[in-house]
Amino acid sequence: MDLAFTPQEQAFREEVRAWVKDNLPADIAQKVHNALRLSRDDMQRWAKILGKKGWLGYGWPQQFGGPGWTAVQKHLFEEECALAGAPRIVPFGPVMVAPVIMAFGNKEQQERFLPGIASGEVWWSQGYSEPGSGSDLASVKCRAERQGDHFLVNGQKTWTTLGQYGEWIFCLVRTSTEGKPQTGISFLLIDMKSPGVSVRPIKLLDGECEVNEVFFDNVKVPAENLIGEENKGWTYAKHLLSHERTNIADVNRAKRELERLKRIAKAEGVWDDSRFRDQIALLEVDVVALEMLVLRVLSAEKSGKNSLDIAGLLKIKGSEIQQRYAELMMLAAGPFATPFIEEAMEAGWQGDFPGGEVGNAPLASTYFNLRKTTIYGGSNEVQRNIVAQTVLG
Amino acid sequence: MDFDFSDDQEQLRDAVRKWVDKGYDFERRRTIVKAGGFDRSAYNELAELGLAGLYISEADGGLGMGPVEGMVVMEELGRGIVLEPLAQTLIAGGVIGGYAGADVKAAWLPKIASGEALVVLAQQERGARYRLDACKTTATPAGSGWTVSGAKSVVPAGDQADAFIVPAAANGQIALFLVERNTAGVSTQGYGTQDGGRAAELSLSNAPASLITTDGMAALEHAVDIGIAAVCAEAVGVMDKTVALTVDYMNTRKQFGVAIASFQALRHRVADMKMQLELARSMSFYACLKLNAPATERRRAMARAKVQLGQSMRFVGQQSVQLHGGIGVTDEYIGSHYFKKLTQLELTFGDTLHHLGEVSARMEDTAGVFA
Repeated sequence: MDLAFTPQEQAFREEVRAWVKDNLPADIAQKVHNALRLSRDDMQRWAKILGKKGWLGYGWPQQFGGPGWTAVQKHLFEEECALAGAPRIVPFGPVMVAPVIMAFGNKEQQERFLPGIASGEVWWSQGYSEPGSGSDLASVKCRAERQGDHFLVNGQKTWTTLGQYGEWIFCLVRTSTEGKPQTGISFLLIDMKSPGVSVRPIKLLDGECEVNEVFFDNVKVPAENLIGEENKGWTYAKHLLSHERTNIADVNRAKRELERLKRIAKAEGVWDDSRFRDQIALLEVDVVALEMLVLRVLSAEKSGKNSLDIAGLLKIKGSEIQQRYAELMMLAAGPFATPFIEEAMEAGWQGDFPGGEVGNAPLASTYFNLRKTTIYGGSNEVQRNIVAQTVLG
Repeated sequence: MDFDFSDDQEQLRDAVRKWVDKGYDFERRRTIVKAGGFDRSAYNELAELGLAGLYISEADGGLGMGPVEGMVVMEELGRGIVLEPLAQTLIAGGVIGGYAGADVKAAWLPKIASGEALVVLAQQERGARYRLDACKTTATPAGSGWTVSGAKSVVPAGDQADAFIVPAAANGQIALFLVERNTAGVSTQGYGTQDGGRAAELSLSNAPASLITTDGMAALEHAVDIGIAAVCAEAVGVMDKTVALTVDYMNTRKQFGVAIASFQALRHRVADMKMQLELARSMSFYACLKLNAPATERRRAMARAKVQLGQSMRFVGQQSVQLHGGIGVTDEYIGSHYFKKLTQLELTFGDTLHHLGEVSARMEDTAGVFA
């Protein structure tokens, strides 16, 4: 047993740190450190920088052009990026659909789609949820009917994160209504520029349009865009959900945001208020405990011993922590968290923010926005069902 | 970064678990509780396994092992809610071995390792709560040695121990002394504790004492930190078993014609218990692996760990009772004794609020396992 990383792992961390320091654009880092709004260009600029280095698909094996890193290396990479103020990698391409294409796609599909994902050129979206299918994902109704060399797709997807920027979307579609709901689902890649695809942004409670509805009206999708076998899509989707088990906890981002919380508490004069400060201390303990939990999972993956099936716990705790730091930041600002001045959430705003701290501008919006974390990716109640199943049978 | 146990450590775990399962069942424990909460023969069985010498060097008759082995052993003793205070013996081995002069070491370490002498930490004073620097007991030079006077409270197995590690103010500074129980000026008044164990009030009146170290505050903090890491590990064992008992019960107990494990309201409580257990286990690892860190880092780590463990213990204990229903609040059922153990462990070496204050006072700009 040893808490320290190996000298090799430590050297790897240094290498990543130096590279990120030299390559992460300062204007982007400044936005991330202050929770200011990121544009599509900001996100894609960073993706392409990573892509050029070969690190956008940082979880990919070497055979598909990835760096072939170990679980620990991936974790260290994520940590260095997060602490330096890099935007989160938009996961739908490199983290979500790419592993499915690698595992279940054919050679043509791999050659066709993976390079654009690895370089950050092509923006992917996820088409899973529907108005009637949230936690009960297997009930998806969006219909794909085989007609010779193509599928005809009709239906709707929703909660499509950043779908307004999407160029391609991977969808769970209904190809059969026979048998169990899970057995009639297929995994289809759809070009969002196809005739009949329309995207309607959904304005959320923080004033931003982070998610969308995507409508399919007689959309013709070539049959060669089907991943694997027809009606086997549920299996592939489950593979995707089991992929990347530790980054769902987002502990590295939590460490960065805890630092920001402390800065805000100092600026607002509550750092020396023991009643408030103890709440930060409680959160600090939570973050350290979550990090230890993540490290245990990584260690188990490294050695292959003592496998830890606790992805559900990571999701629950990680999301609760995200909500808590956002809540404490807002509470620290108090009355000065209430002004809703959207321009002040953009970089470079020169106005006089009420109370004098422009850093307070996005706090309430972030608090509102992060209510999503306990809902998405399998709600925390669904996660508790899963955890209970492993404990109680 | 590696959290696997070595084969030797797994063998040690198996040996202790076997003893707990075969040698320390619930009936024996109940008999010990009725007889006062401490059984010297049970303690000697632990010593025969070598456990009393875990933190004592091989040259002094011990096993010369470290915090990971200590954690493994304490987890298993927790699983069996063993009453005999081995955590105290780990403290004694660590503090005497780490801070005492050659004569005290030679006189005591072999006896502690063999089980011949039980030495416990007597630091608690009235009115001090969890503050270690609040020490009214005084030490005075006498001939070539010292005498100490004062009173200590809730000393583990205090009327059964052979000697005490006593913090006392000498020339205005806290120093640590070793005081034998069967000696002039020492009296004890024993009683049972809520977890079924034993403690005593200790009264010292010009009692002859051997100096362990004049660097008393550093040694006392270290002693308590060894204790905190041990308590954390013990608590993980207690909680592990508590969750297992609860799961068994829920899959057996039927209401409304079905096992109560089928009810979602109850299943979610179990998921939350599992969460608290795994966070606690993670922080027990953390405490264990920080036990040999420099003092500032070590102290902060122990405070963080005890905050997590304290919250986890209370949650797991309370939920377990609730999920058992009426049987959970009976003395007859084994589970209620696990709840009492968890409750007492939270109050040992600083409760959650105390350590939250410690974490709060020690916060820096950055935070994390490596910060």
